Amino acid sequence: MKAAANLASSSKFAVVPGAPIATGHLFSSKGGAMTRNIQTAPAKGEPVLRLSGISKNFGAVSALTDIELEVNAGEVVALVGDNGAGKSTLIKILAGVHQQSAGTIEFCGQPVEIENPRKALALGIATVFQDLALCENLDVVANLFLGHELSPWQLDEVAMEVRAWTLLRELAARIPSVRLPIASLSGGQRQTVAIARSLLLDPKVIMLDEPTAALGVAQTAEVLNLIERVRDRGLGVIIISHNMEDVRAVADRVVVLRLGRNNGVFSPDASNQELVAAITGATENAVSRRIDRKAGLANEQSGGAA
Amino acid sequence: MSQNPSNTAVRAEQRLDRTDERLRQDEGVLDMAWGFIDRVRSGDLGMLPVAVGLIVISTIFSALNPVFLAPNNLVNLLFDCATVGVISLGIICVLVLGEIDLSVGSMSGLASAIVGVLWVGSGWPVAAAIVVALLVGVAVGLIYATLYNRLGMPSFIATLAGLLALLGMQLYILGPTGSINLPYASPLVRFGQILIMPDWFSHAVALLPGLVMIGKGIRTRRQRQTVNLSTQPVGALIVKAVALTVILELAIFYLNLGRGVPWMFGLFVALAVVLNYALTRTKWGRSMFAVGGNREAARRSGINVRRIYLSAFVLCSTLATLGGILSAARLASSSQQAGTGDVNLNAIAAAVIGGTSLFGGRGSAYSALLGIIVIQAISNGLTLLNLSSSLRYMITGGVLAVAVIVDSLARRSRVSHGRA
Repeated sequence: MKAAANLASSSKFAVVPGAPIATGHLFSSKGGAMTRNIQTAPAKGEPVLRLSGISKNFGAVSALTDIELEVNAGEVVALVGDNGAGKSTLIKILAGVHQQSAGTIEFCGQPVEIENPRKALALGIATVFQDLALCENLDVVANLFLGHELSPWQLDEVAMEVRAWTLLRELAARIPSVRLPIASLSGGQRQTVAIARSLLLDPKVIMLDEPTAALGVAQTAEVLNLIERVRDRGLGVIIISHNMEDVRAVADRVVVLRLGRNNGVFSPDASNQELVAAITGATENAVSRRIDRKAGLANEQSGGAA
Repeated sequence: MSQNPSNTAVRAEQRLDRTDERLRQDEGVLDMAWGFIDRVRSGDLGMLPVAVGLIVISTIFSALNPVFLAPNNLVNLLFDCATVGVISLGIICVLVLGEIDLSVGSMSGLASAIVGVLWVGSGWPVAAAIVVALLVGVAVGLIYATLYNRLGMPSFIATLAGLLALLGMQLYILGPTGSINLPYASPLVRFGQILIMPDWFSHAVALLPGLVMIGKGIRTRRQRQTVNLSTQPVGALIVKAVALTVILELAIFYLNLGRGVPWMFGLFVALAVVLNYALTRTKWGRSMFAVGGNREAARRSGINVRRIYLSAFVLCSTLATLGGILSAARLASSSQQAGTGDVNLNAIAAAVIGGTSLFGGRGSAYSALLGIIVIQAISNGLTLLNLSSSLRYMITGGVLAVAVIVDSLARRSRVSHGRA
């Protein structure tokens, strides 16, 4: 019965392809399959996720040391840092893929142990992994609903397909058919599928590891729009990106990691120089030298012309 | 996509899933035929190798010995298929995960020994003996799953060890006599050797697949239409259902010219249908294919990967046990030879020949059904030719090699055509 109701509500959008889809719809329908025992969601501006003293060792290597991070509901936190700074490791700890060696995680004000990915999803932490974590042998619908299929004893393929289309439309995805196996999709299309999947379960916090790396111009803008919409609905968002332009465009706070440690929190208005200095750990770095050289060249040229 | 001119035409009403202009609009019966040819070309062979194989085999063997196609010989063939076929169903479960169970032969031998010793030797009721054997199968599956999940022992090695250990156990409980005859008049042996469906019943059952296909097809069609998704053409649905029904009814008519359809084969087909439903239409089945395709991705989607492995190993061992009991019934004996020789090979070969990939993530319950018919047809045909078992082993080995080569080539082709 639940699935049927879901279908009926989806069909409203389905009969007018091309018409704008109400923004709220994407997040309002629970999909019917999830049951969660969760504290009430915190109001906007309240901390939804708080990490303190998080450390992670892989043998002799300390990938993370004493990380502090706070994410409020309705806020986009950008996590930046050079390669090997520990961004992805931190995301994986929150997603339940790895367990921290030390430190505590508070979710909605209560300390939690995230011992496996299932627990993270059940809490309401959704993740788009850098390697996407899709099953290439399954089609788009199966991947979107993996682990959370509608009516487990008699899969409701029609309802799942309709919901898949609605989600993908919302993301302006260019996927010819949701019945194609992931193996036949391009990198950008796969990334869209992974993002769509993270939204399916109506999470409280969503983490995106390099979400725009493989996307085209229009899709990047769609994803940034989407992040803003998600934030406006009161979700906490963590985004990892190397693209400073994207970071500035959506982030409310920029948290810099360097060699597995906190290296400052900036507002998105901070100058590029400040950010790069924090990321690389030196005011004199490859980026600044390059800018200086360019500036010097320009000066010389303008000097020569005069 | 030049085969179909209609994809350039602008359609008055576009289906929700057909709005992308790059997508071919497959709507008629002919379009579906083209789709099938496309799939085969790109390496998605499905059941095609089996169909071709069966035609080749029956042509060759009936040319060499006309008895091969006689109704009663085919009835015997179906009796033989059921025993190893049930084992093969279990093999499919582990193959879908990209794992293997090499001990199914020994497991089936041990099961037949347990039934023989408890039932005939110790005078237990036959049902109790069967239940004990099945429970032993469950226990062995649990052991494999624990070795795999907790200790990370590759299933190849764990079950290779199991092959020897279980064979040893079979020899141990059979003791020095080595062989126990089961009473001919008992229901179990009658089930394995004599019991045949009434003609009317087998004909009625043969109608079911077509009826279910049409009923389900029309229901799905109505559901999809109400939410504006594209639908399969009704024509194609009816053509498929009618073709299937005609083929099945003819086959059953032919078998009924002889003794008829064995109940034991009916049990095997019923198990295959149940497993097919579980693999394709339930969350468990979806999780099986996900774990077989990308284990880590499945784990990150919140699937309990360990429980999936556990279910597959337990199912495989239990079905192997059931197969062993059926073959004891078929042979009316529990002996030291039960489950040895080519049982292992045949069970695995049947799954692979039927189209279940050794590499995990692809397969179907029906591949056991079709694959075992191919394997048993070869073995039966070679026996009719009075070939020695040395030649039979060599030829069956060659067929298995060809089947795996087809699987590997098809896989390579799928990769280059962007199919999983």
